Amino acid sequence: MAALSVELQDLVGVKQQLVKIQEQCRERGLVHSAKWASELAFALNPLPLNKLPSPPELTEEDAQDLDALCLAKSYFDLKEYDRAAYFLRGCRSQKAYFLYMYSRYLSGEKKKDDETVDSLGPLEKGQVRNEALRELRVELSKKHSAGELDGFSLYLYGVVLRKLDLLKEAVDIFVAATHALPLHWGAWLELCNLITNIEMLKSLSLPDCWVRDFFMAHMYTELQMIKEALQKYQSLMEAGFAKSTYIISQIAVAYHNIRDIDQALDLFNELREQDPFRIENMDTFSNLLYVRSMKPELSYLAHNLVEIDKYRVETCCVIGNYYSLRSQHEKAALYFQRALKLNPRCLGAWTLMGHEYMEMKNTSAAIQAYRHAIEVNKRDYRAWYGLGQTYEILKMPFYSLYYYRKAHQLRPNDSRMLVALGECYEKLSQQVEAKKCYWRAYSVGDVERMALLKLAKLHEQLNESDDAAQSYIIYIQDIFSCGEQLEHAEVSTALRYLGQYYFKNKLYDEASLCAQRCCDYNDAREEGKALLRQISAVREQGEPSSTDLSLPSVFNPLSSNTTPVRRVSPLDLSSVTP
Amino acid sequence: MMTNGVVQANIFGIKDWVTPYKIAVLALLYEMATTKPMALLDRRRLNKLILPLQQGSDLTFEQFLKTVEECCPLMVEAVKRRLFLMADRELQDMEHFFAILPSAFSDSEAFKTSVVGLFMRQMLLAYNKLSFSQVYKLYRSLQQYSQRGGRLTSNEDTKIFFLYQTFNNDENKAMKPAKLQDELNNILKFNPDFAEAHYLSYLNSMRVQDIYISTHSLLHYFDRLILSGGEGKSSGDEGYGRSLRYAVLNLATLHCRFGHYQQADLALQEAIRIAQEANDHVCLQHCLSWLYTLEQMKGSDSVVLTEDSVKMAAHFCLPYLASLGIQSLVQQGALHGMSANKLLDALRGTDIMHWKQSLSELIDISLAQTASIWRMYGKSTMARQQAQLLLNMNSLEPVNFGVQQNNTEPFAIALCHLAELHAEQGLYGAVSDIIKHLKQQFPPHTQHAKLWMLSDLKIQFEKAMNDGRYHLAEPYVTAISALNTTEGLYRKAQLLKALNQTSEASKILQRVQNLSEKSKNTEMIIRVMLATAELHWDSSGFATALPLLLQALALARQHNLQSLESETILHLAFTQLMLGIPEQALALVQDVLECVLAHGSVLDKARALLLTARCQAMLAVSAPEEQRMHAVELAVQTLGESAVYFSHLNCKLRLREVYYLQARLHHSLGNIQERNKSALLFRLLNQELPPATNMAVPQL
Repeated sequence: MAALSVELQDLVGVKQQLVKIQEQCRERGLVHSAKWASELAFALNPLPLNKLPSPPELTEEDAQDLDALCLAKSYFDLKEYDRAAYFLRGCRSQKAYFLYMYSRYLSGEKKKDDETVDSLGPLEKGQVRNEALRELRVELSKKHSAGELDGFSLYLYGVVLRKLDLLKEAVDIFVAATHALPLHWGAWLELCNLITNIEMLKSLSLPDCWVRDFFMAHMYTELQMIKEALQKYQSLMEAGFAKSTYIISQIAVAYHNIRDIDQALDLFNELREQDPFRIENMDTFSNLLYVRSMKPELSYLAHNLVEIDKYRVETCCVIGNYYSLRSQHEKAALYFQRALKLNPRCLGAWTLMGHEYMEMKNTSAAIQAYRHAIEVNKRDYRAWYGLGQTYEILKMPFYSLYYYRKAHQLRPNDSRMLVALGECYEKLSQQVEAKKCYWRAYSVGDVERMALLKLAKLHEQLNESDDAAQSYIIYIQDIFSCGEQLEHAEVSTALRYLGQYYFKNKLYDEASLCAQRCCDYNDAREEGKALLRQISAVREQGEPSSTDLSLPSVFNPLSSNTTPVRRVSPLDLSSVTP
Repeated sequence: MMTNGVVQANIFGIKDWVTPYKIAVLALLYEMATTKPMALLDRRRLNKLILPLQQGSDLTFEQFLKTVEECCPLMVEAVKRRLFLMADRELQDMEHFFAILPSAFSDSEAFKTSVVGLFMRQMLLAYNKLSFSQVYKLYRSLQQYSQRGGRLTSNEDTKIFFLYQTFNNDENKAMKPAKLQDELNNILKFNPDFAEAHYLSYLNSMRVQDIYISTHSLLHYFDRLILSGGEGKSSGDEGYGRSLRYAVLNLATLHCRFGHYQQADLALQEAIRIAQEANDHVCLQHCLSWLYTLEQMKGSDSVVLTEDSVKMAAHFCLPYLASLGIQSLVQQGALHGMSANKLLDALRGTDIMHWKQSLSELIDISLAQTASIWRMYGKSTMARQQAQLLLNMNSLEPVNFGVQQNNTEPFAIALCHLAELHAEQGLYGAVSDIIKHLKQQFPPHTQHAKLWMLSDLKIQFEKAMNDGRYHLAEPYVTAISALNTTEGLYRKAQLLKALNQTSEASKILQRVQNLSEKSKNTEMIIRVMLATAELHWDSSGFATALPLLLQALALARQHNLQSLESETILHLAFTQLMLGIPEQALALVQDVLECVLAHGSVLDKARALLLTARCQAMLAVSAPEEQRMHAVELAVQTLGESAVYFSHLNCKLRLREVYYLQARLHHSLGNIQERNKSALLFRLLNQELPPATNMAVPQL
């Protein structure tokens, strides 16, 4: 159990802090942080009247700036940033100063976005940048060295630095911002985007506050340390945030990341019950529905979201997924493009669009889409995997190795990359590597349950019959132990091979068992019967079944140069019922 | 190609946008069309200017005006006036310019399909597509352009071009790898679609042998290229599939360079397969030439492949690949003892073609190769001459005509040869100059640095050995082994032999023998045989050394290795001398003496003369009384010459020997004064040097 901050014992205190911070964030136009705080506050019990936090005391400066601030805030809310900044220019109070700087920053950003659309050719496109950033940085750094920045302004300073690609400095400033104002979730989120590995995370000195636990959980999810993340969220729920939709959604996303589809689906359904008009994270939900091919549910979700707001990135992604599931790939691509128009940095849409182009056999467009996805986030393993697939389709297995390797690096325990790698190696006639990949894929928990079958077939090709038999046995056990019916399951192939194998090794009882099982499958029935006849013919000739257990090496430890396969007795098969 | 404007950058190419520079060109065209009476010469010059202006990358305003002024000063004024008319007034004036633009050309035959007409129509189309704010932006940048001569819109394009140029011309003049990478990262951050920058990044990281970044950049480049290939002129399957094939081929070459032979092999096979599927013979030829290169690098026999490649390349009219193949064949032929005239003939034949087609790269290679072959054959003068020829050659490429492009592999090889040749003549001052130059031209991290490192180490090693400072030679052995295992082992054996650790030396020589037989390195095999023979001498097994030496002689003759041949004959003569047949020995020595004196190194010369003197002295003993004095005097004279060469190299160990012999001979002649002088010199040296361990068995 991950230890939590002590302060979480005092839920009333936490709630008071949340109420206070969301008010502060709202006053400064930091809507997302305010939303986060309110969501958490909503999950806790309401405060009695006497516990409600008193409104903050106003200083003389605040009072002076009050009118200008009110006016500017109204303009700000109307997205008239330049106007807001103009009326705030002489103000002294911290709050007004933050809003002043923030307006200027947002104004620059808005202009940048507008400019991008109107650029004069591709070469100029790259040169469009937020012109306000440099000035802001100069002013903020002056104030910073004078120690006059409060938590919010520090956060803004960090954002400016990050936009100017001064990442190291930005990290320091964000850490300072979290120390100055631990409850401001925006600063934590920014920090999260800048941390690339666990070592870096450990090296930071973060404030010891309960928000830190949320941050750590979020960070673990980002770094694909799902187990730790789930533990952390679990303990947060136990500490009193059980009703928080934020935590539920985060857990659902985490389950999605480790491909625990059932758990994730349950959680998303729960989330939708609690918060039916929620659009956030619904793209992830639709991915899950897509993977499970749950057409009606996906269709319902899509229609529902369109009713709520059709011009949202998430909505477009859901619709894209919906069309993709219906094999209308052109339309799907269209919706992903729409999502990207709404937010060009939307990573998932790039990757999904790549998949759609792949389906449409438009490989060059697919490559471009994947490359864009990687540009947005280098750690997007799906895009790397997609690139690998594209080149594999173009019959360039060696070329795709690089991309699969990249994907594998990012997800070392994902069997799909390993199977893909194995297939490439197999195509390149690198059987040793291929075997390693398949075995590893099985060892890390094969999602598609194909690795063992491929491994067995590889052994079969190489005439390593003992290893092949072993792999088939484990494959069959694996297929039946997982309980669900898989479309591509090739149990019959495995049984057929095993039958012949036992027959050759004169283990007639086992062979006939396999042959009988064979008869349960349409494609292997004839062969099963033929084998049974053969067995009975041999038995009539009175040839004794080999009882020497040391002879067929299914029972023996395999020779050391082959893949280590867990030993099983063939009698285990009797427990297997289709 | 992406539709629906998601990826705007790729809808139009870079060329299809109006920039201030292009407006200036348009203004020039307009003025040219409307100014009817114009001097014929001026008009001709301007007409010649149009194409480069139109197709080149954007110039600054001053550059543009200067170029036009050189052709026609009157026109400059008109163009300037027109541009300022637009820039200094209102947006409307620019709109007006574009409105009247077609009218100027409407009556001329140039309007529709000529280069000028197409350009103009393209620009008009692009201009009409601009939105209001884009037009305003264009106008503002035009103002900046004409007033301040300001920033170019497409300066990244030019920047890349510039970087690439410097990179191509002289790696050392290009930016430092780290700085260049920073620059590239910066460009890529703002413009990730810029494929060429990725390619440059690939080249740059190859410079510092960084496999991760270079692979990454190479693949990224081709990922991007595939996109632009799909939309450009070579649209359809053709352009797209083509870049795929070359992508894999490039990946193969990358692995080749890093010595990942298996990976390279796999990539190459893939390239060959998809090239075959697409019936792309040119690409297949490239693959084939890489295939034999790979085989060669792996050390296996690739003659058949190379021959095939040459034939096919000739068939498909790919002169570059064909002569590259011939050069490779020549190299292998030389190593396998093909007759010299055939090799040199082949080289000359290709040379004629290189000069015809101005393939300056191949000319360089050919010269360096000829130098190497001469050197191998032991003709140091010819080798020196060829190397000098290469160094004094100017580049033929039009881009940097007359500028020496001296950072390529052939230059490194030629310079290394020169360094070694100078070292052989004992000119160590010149050697250190050459090495210094090499260090500068090929900094240690670069691709060809290993060449000079090895040469440098060999020279230092030889020098230390000659000086008899064996403890200094030892670190060189380790360093040489790092660069070349066989060579390192051989040197180690030499060192051990000099230190009298005979049995270890013999074991190592055995290993070198096996190694070099496997790699068919004839030169090394002969050298090992000679060294083994010397070991036999140390144990007085002169008779056992003979068959070995005869074998070496046969090998050397078969491969035309003249210097090794004369070396072997000297060894034979020495053996015979020791076996007590000085007449035979002297005859042998005199046979090769001429050759050694003409081509050999100083050390060889000195050793040959010493041997001659020994033989002469031995013969004098048995000579009839009346001729004896004369014979001894002859020996003394030869010894004197030998001493001069030895002292030239400051080879004290051998000098001591020479002085000893001299003293003895003078003694027998009765020249007391001379004898005493030699004896004194001997004594001085003997005090300085460690005591001679094996004076009884003299060295060759």
